[in-house]
Amino acid sequence: MEHFREAYEQMTDVCGARLSRRSFVKTGGALVVGFGVFRGRSAKAAEMIKGDAFDVSLPASWIEIRPDNTVLFRTGKSDFGQGTIYTAYRQIVADELDMPFEAITTVVSADTDTTPEGGGTFGLLGEGTPNIRKAAAYTKQAILQLASERLGVPKDQVRTADGKASGGGKEITYGELVKDQDLKLTIPVSGDLTSIFGLRITGDPPLKPASELNVVGKSFKNSIVSEKVRHDALWVTNVKLPGMLHGRVVHPTTLGSQLVQAGTVDPTKFPNTRVVVKGNLVGVVAPTEWEAIQASYQVAKATKWSDWKGLPGKDNLFASLRNESDWKVAPVQKSRKSKGDVAAGARGAKNKLAATYQLPYWKHAPIGPTMALADYRPDGSVTVHTHTQNAQALRGQLAMMLGTSVDKVTVKTYPGAGHYGRSNGGNAGAEDEAVLLSKEVGKPVRVQWMRDDDMKWSTQSPAAYADVNISLDEHGRIAAYEIDHYQPAMQDDRLIGAVLAGLPTMPAPSEKGGPINNIANGSSDMWLYDAVTNLDERCHGTYQVGQQKSPLAVGLRDHSMRTPGQFQQNFPREMAMNEAAALAGADPLQFRIDHAKDERLLNVLRHLQTEAGWEARKTPKAAASGQATVRGQGMSAMFRSGTYWACACEVSVTPATGVVKVEKYTVVVEPGIVVNPEQLKRQVEGGAVMGISIALYEEVNFNQSAITTANWSSYPIATMADVPDIKIVMLHRPEVGQYGQGSEAANALAASAIASAVFDATGKPMRKMPLRPANVMEMLKA
Amino acid sequence: MNLTVNGKSLPVASPQDTPLLYVLRDELGIDSPQFGCGLAQCGACSVLVNGQEVRSCVTPASMAVGKEVTTLEGLPARWAAQKHLPQNQANPALHPVQLAWIEQQVPLCGFCQSGMMIKATELLEHKANPTDAEISEAFTTGGVSPRLCRCGTYIAIRDAVRHASKLMAQGEV
Repeated sequence: MEHFREAYEQMTDVCGARLSRRSFVKTGGALVVGFGVFRGRSAKAAEMIKGDAFDVSLPASWIEIRPDNTVLFRTGKSDFGQGTIYTAYRQIVADELDMPFEAITTVVSADTDTTPEGGGTFGLLGEGTPNIRKAAAYTKQAILQLASERLGVPKDQVRTADGKASGGGKEITYGELVKDQDLKLTIPVSGDLTSIFGLRITGDPPLKPASELNVVGKSFKNSIVSEKVRHDALWVTNVKLPGMLHGRVVHPTTLGSQLVQAGTVDPTKFPNTRVVVKGNLVGVVAPTEWEAIQASYQVAKATKWSDWKGLPGKDNLFASLRNESDWKVAPVQKSRKSKGDVAAGARGAKNKLAATYQLPYWKHAPIGPTMALADYRPDGSVTVHTHTQNAQALRGQLAMMLGTSVDKVTVKTYPGAGHYGRSNGGNAGAEDEAVLLSKEVGKPVRVQWMRDDDMKWSTQSPAAYADVNISLDEHGRIAAYEIDHYQPAMQDDRLIGAVLAGLPTMPAPSEKGGPINNIANGSSDMWLYDAVTNLDERCHGTYQVGQQKSPLAVGLRDHSMRTPGQFQQNFPREMAMNEAAALAGADPLQFRIDHAKDERLLNVLRHLQTEAGWEARKTPKAAASGQATVRGQGMSAMFRSGTYWACACEVSVTPATGVVKVEKYTVVVEPGIVVNPEQLKRQVEGGAVMGISIALYEEVNFNQSAITTANWSSYPIATMADVPDIKIVMLHRPEVGQYGQGSEAANALAASAIASAVFDATGKPMRKMPLRPANVMEMLKA
Repeated sequence: MNLTVNGKSLPVASPQDTPLLYVLRDELGIDSPQFGCGLAQCGACSVLVNGQEVRSCVTPASMAVGKEVTTLEGLPARWAAQKHLPQNQANPALHPVQLAWIEQQVPLCGFCQSGMMIKATELLEHKANPTDAEISEAFTTGGVSPRLCRCGTYIAIRDAVRHASKLMAQGEV
């Protein structure tokens, strides 16, 4: 505290934050918003301000207002194609500060040495109050305080607009308020910087009412788009360091193999290549990338691994999950909306649906394989250049692997290939291997996985199945709804290189794990049909497939992927709703409306009726007969992170070939406030196409030993030829008062909408994904 | 060997059978083409060789000797040369394809988009006003493999190709 008092002349409490100031600095001046834990030591916070410059070695500044009336903000989030940190975050900051969008000139993101908050790149809009909004709201209070003093009017008589404060007949820009002064606002936070969730700003600074937002709600271009198109952006793949070497890793032949003997390289062919072996981690390091690649093939051929067969194989997956996995070790979790008495509801039912739905493993499948460049120094410090959704969590894990403190580890993040959740707990795959190879050879090493490494050794979205029982009464209404969701653990954040090398990592997912690596399966898909009085939703979790049989505790490592867990739970529910509507002789859309009470949901469903050109009629249209192409319509609905979604599509099915083609596709999205219509539209389009891809094509193949999906031929994804006539309907409802998420969910609507359309067209329920022709033909025969 | 890349003749020391991708990226520092699969299955590494889109990850560098290689970095100058504009006017102006990609906000993660813009340039140089079916064909069956975008930007790409076609017809830079 003493140090703090010395450095600052004056301190003022501003809505629970502390404003400190020292006037008349020689040049510049700024209002810098940092964080502090108020009951802790403040001396370190005070050290942050040295002159008028932000000290990057103390990454504690969220927002800086500068004398030229521009703003810089820092966020621990990175960009994975959502664009949020460059669009919505700018809009949110501009709105809270009463500044124009263009005044928010600089966005500093994600690097552990230059940004404050940590946390994963997910839930970016924070259910309406992301950290950045609170930081801006606190900043606004400091501006009001400063303006009140300067203008000589009480704080509540200061008006702000367009980067200016006015009152008492005078006006001053924010830039003039901070000019020649050394101002620092310390705001309260809680949380753990290197945990998956990072720090959270606490307290309740006054927020601008939704009715007064005027930057949020308009379309603005995404600045990183222009940088990428101009090739001005520095991609992670293009980062180079002096003396940098290229590394490749020779991964084991199975998911449970141990190293018997590492291969060597022919020194006449690869004179400068070095083979590095650490436990079961085998790598090659060479001066050029092409030499590293070729040498790694030679080493791979000559390396001997022990054999292992601990997987059920893809064809036995669901039988094995049902009969061999231990679903009792983790407690069953019930959804919060479960209510009533399903047994009583089921008695005297007129019609019953009992069905099982299955979703396979999917790959995040980034277009570029994981890549990281590590520079391990003799003093034990290391800097990692990578593309991660959670730089601070990665930093913590790398420190654990190295047995050192987080102070020794810096993680820097650059644009890279999106991977849709794979690194939200820190790593995407190559980071720790790059660190270990760099440490071994004493030079910076760039490790990029080859395509087959990325398909075979990355994590995947977990497979899941669900058993559904629905009872319908004599009026065709749901009298009881029961569902049991089964899904192996979804969040394995262990560093795979550390696992192979036998170095410390966080524990494998188990029933003893914490909130992130516990194998219990939670309810993720909010029940929508509130008129149902007897509801029981149960979620069952277990270990990852093969994990317990693998000497490395590896198996099929799972990881959250776009709309994680909720996709796996929404698909069976929405499919079952379509099939229940069929049993009731009802129109599936009207059937949902009849079981819904929530006004926002009803509004979305009614918009879907008109916008999609939905035919109000019974499903299925008619039982398929013969081999001629038939058409049908299907739909789905979801609530996710503050946003209501509904989707309808029309498909054609050719029974002779099993080919399903999506012809028309409509998505209605209602997030309350639409923050940026142009950006939301592109996000939803992209999500829709990814969803169509997942529904029609995607499935990870594996045998008893290993993943056999190796490239884009064995893991096909949608192409431009699969894109239907698509319509995105965005419902802007400012009266909701906040903005929900927009970059997820769209991908999860497709599978149930498409599969129910195939059901509508053929009369055959499609309960297994994906709808590849062979699967469709098999289900048509059933 | 020498390679002509974006209008400049450059000496190359890498072995002749090195794929063009690594020569461009690692030796010449022309790093817009990206490694996606190394198997000519995705198009992230696409460059123009004498105006034809090729997958640089499987093309030996020696195959490009005596030919014109164009990457994303070279698109503005390529457009300037086609329109007989002085080179200094072409820089920092962008190729109409790039202008359209920005106007239509095409990239999400953007990792595939260098290759997508290369493909769009090839298409529009051969067919000034393609139909949706022709655009779709160019990006799927018209080549060794479909051009893949994992973020699902195909709709935006189609919009941007149409937009670029209009800009090129107007001769705007």
